[in-house]
Amino acid sequence: MNKAAALRLKFWTPNVALLVFFMVSAAVFSYFRFFHGFGSVTNLNPNYPMGLWIAFDVACGVALAAGGFTTCLIVEIFGKHKYHALLRPAILTAFIGYMLVGMAVMFDLGRWYYIWHALIYWNGNSVLFEVAWCVMLYLSVLAVENVPAVVEEYKDKVSLPGPLALFNNLVNAFLHVADKVMGKVAVFFVLGGVVLSFGHQSSLGTMMLIAPYKLHELWFTPWSPLLFLMSAIAVGPSMVVFEASLATYFFNRKSEINLIGDFAKFIPWFLGAFLLFRFGDLAWRGALPAAFVPGTYAYAFWVEMALFIIPFVALMNKGVRFHSVKLFLAACSVICGVVAYRFNVFLIGMDMGPGWNYFPSVGEFAVTFGFVAFGVFLYKLAVNYLPILEQQH
Amino acid sequence: MPITRRKFFKVAAATGAGACAALTAPPQASAANRPADPGFGMLNDSTRCVGCKVCQVACKKVNELPAESTLGDGGRLFDSPRGLSDRTYTLVKMHRDEDSGEATFVKEQCMHCLDPACKSACLVLAFEREETGAVTWNSRKCMGCRYCMIACPYNVPQFEWHRAIPDISKCTLCHDTRLVHGQPTACAEVCPVDAITFGHRDELLRIARNRIAADPDRYDPHVYGEHEVGGTGVLYLTKPKVSFASLGLPPFGYKGVPRLTESIQHGIFKYFIPPVAIYAALGGIMAFNQRRNKLKGETEHE
Repeated sequence: MNKAAALRLKFWTPNVALLVFFMVSAAVFSYFRFFHGFGSVTNLNPNYPMGLWIAFDVACGVALAAGGFTTCLIVEIFGKHKYHALLRPAILTAFIGYMLVGMAVMFDLGRWYYIWHALIYWNGNSVLFEVAWCVMLYLSVLAVENVPAVVEEYKDKVSLPGPLALFNNLVNAFLHVADKVMGKVAVFFVLGGVVLSFGHQSSLGTMMLIAPYKLHELWFTPWSPLLFLMSAIAVGPSMVVFEASLATYFFNRKSEINLIGDFAKFIPWFLGAFLLFRFGDLAWRGALPAAFVPGTYAYAFWVEMALFIIPFVALMNKGVRFHSVKLFLAACSVICGVVAYRFNVFLIGMDMGPGWNYFPSVGEFAVTFGFVAFGVFLYKLAVNYLPILEQQH
Repeated sequence: MPITRRKFFKVAAATGAGACAALTAPPQASAANRPADPGFGMLNDSTRCVGCKVCQVACKKVNELPAESTLGDGGRLFDSPRGLSDRTYTLVKMHRDEDSGEATFVKEQCMHCLDPACKSACLVLAFEREETGAVTWNSRKCMGCRYCMIACPYNVPQFEWHRAIPDISKCTLCHDTRLVHGQPTACAEVCPVDAITFGHRDELLRIARNRIAADPDRYDPHVYGEHEVGGTGVLYLTKPKVSFASLGLPPFGYKGVPRLTESIQHGIFKYFIPPVAIYAALGGIMAFNQRRNKLKGETEHE
């Protein structure tokens, strides 16, 4: 098995400058959001109190970080160690993803400085309570799961700059302890991470069920928690494929198509199970006719379905799975499908009453793009200086 | 002593997952969602309202809310402001029933549900249903997530969009300002035509039924809020030719809005058994596969 190694490429490239541009523009809009209120930046209004930031940054963010727990499930729990090379990048991106979700929540909380109240005022009846706790705990678990990469890179090689050099020995001793402890407890974190993911991925699906008179029948179902979990499991491997493809392209690496093409065989299984359940639920509840009533809801539904069904059919074909461009496009389609599903549940399928409409403002888009850019920036930073991606010769 | 969910979580956190499988715990208290004494409420008789808006003014005075003008935005003059906002907790609007064409004035405010969705949704317990029947909001707990606004079927809680440190605001049934001093709500007190009656909810239901019985031509026989969304503290009467829906009171079901989410959540996390069971099952699968992989590895080497 190849060993993972830091890439150590030149960090400041034109692409990074582009990322910085997006982050700076997000920072400008966030100044207004934090000092002049939501009204100065967003198009949120009394009937649409949650908008793009919750629907994309949080609801989609959590789903798109599902690569971490699904890969963990496949590699560590089901023992498919041939995909081991995909594990570290998946766990890293999950960590970055959840960190961004946490930051995005801070942006969306009107009284963000009270975010710690979730730790002390407990309402077990609230779906959001469960989501908040699971996300917090899972973020901690992901941080721990990333420790081995740091240990591997810096153990016995700690050299902090300037006066901080005094702490070299202390940090090194800490890394030794972390290394030893991790060897013994990693398995508990692996399992815990998967269980926590099951918890909050499904609870995200429960969230909008608090509004039975607002969510359209195409999406309002008591099975929504299971559907959210299944769609997250389906999008996990697709995110791994997506990220691996982009890393290959942008870091000029050798194609990993043999590995990720093989890994992609899980996608149609997961996706098929999801689609089966989705249509079964619609048919059982008698909601299918609503999909044929022309209008925004039906169109949104069919866009979502097309984005799932096309890659489902395509990825059953081996020729698609082992063709890097076709595989990448299929993975993108699954990702867009999950994004569409989340948007339909959190925004498009919600009829919030007469008199108000919502479309995200430029400021909301800018902040969201800024978060995505920051995520890519952190990923590049991490793979450049930590052993995440496997060495290639 | 019944174990509340909150207490249960605390115990669970303290003693670890193993103790969570304590099957002896009694059923959760959440099933008892309807309070034995529903407290005070208001009866809004839309057949009596003349649209003078004195209640609106009284509400602004007692809650110290600034005036709000939506003149010049193209809407009708009478309905200004257009809807509830962070500065308007109650509002009289003119509605026209599409079928009969009949116009009616009706007052809008928080319904003070017996099983409030806002309270169930709020993760930090910022909403409380007081003994008086008022559903109140606590500034010291709220973190401004606005999930209550999604949860409320009547879109009542409002958010201060133009302040850096925003509050959630809504009708409090004058809980702090008047109820605790033994006074009725400000809007009910000033109403010149007795369209708003303040009182104990049971008493209000009796009054409503008496009015319907005494003048069946004047009233629709249904009392809105008696059962809708599990019952509301604010009740409504309407004319036979004016549907409740046309007054902005949709025909909601009789089940409390948060029943479904609470039963799903409590099912998924029942005494922590499901998560612990999944943890154990995954652990078993992991151990099995590791053993198998190891054996396979050994045979390959031989």
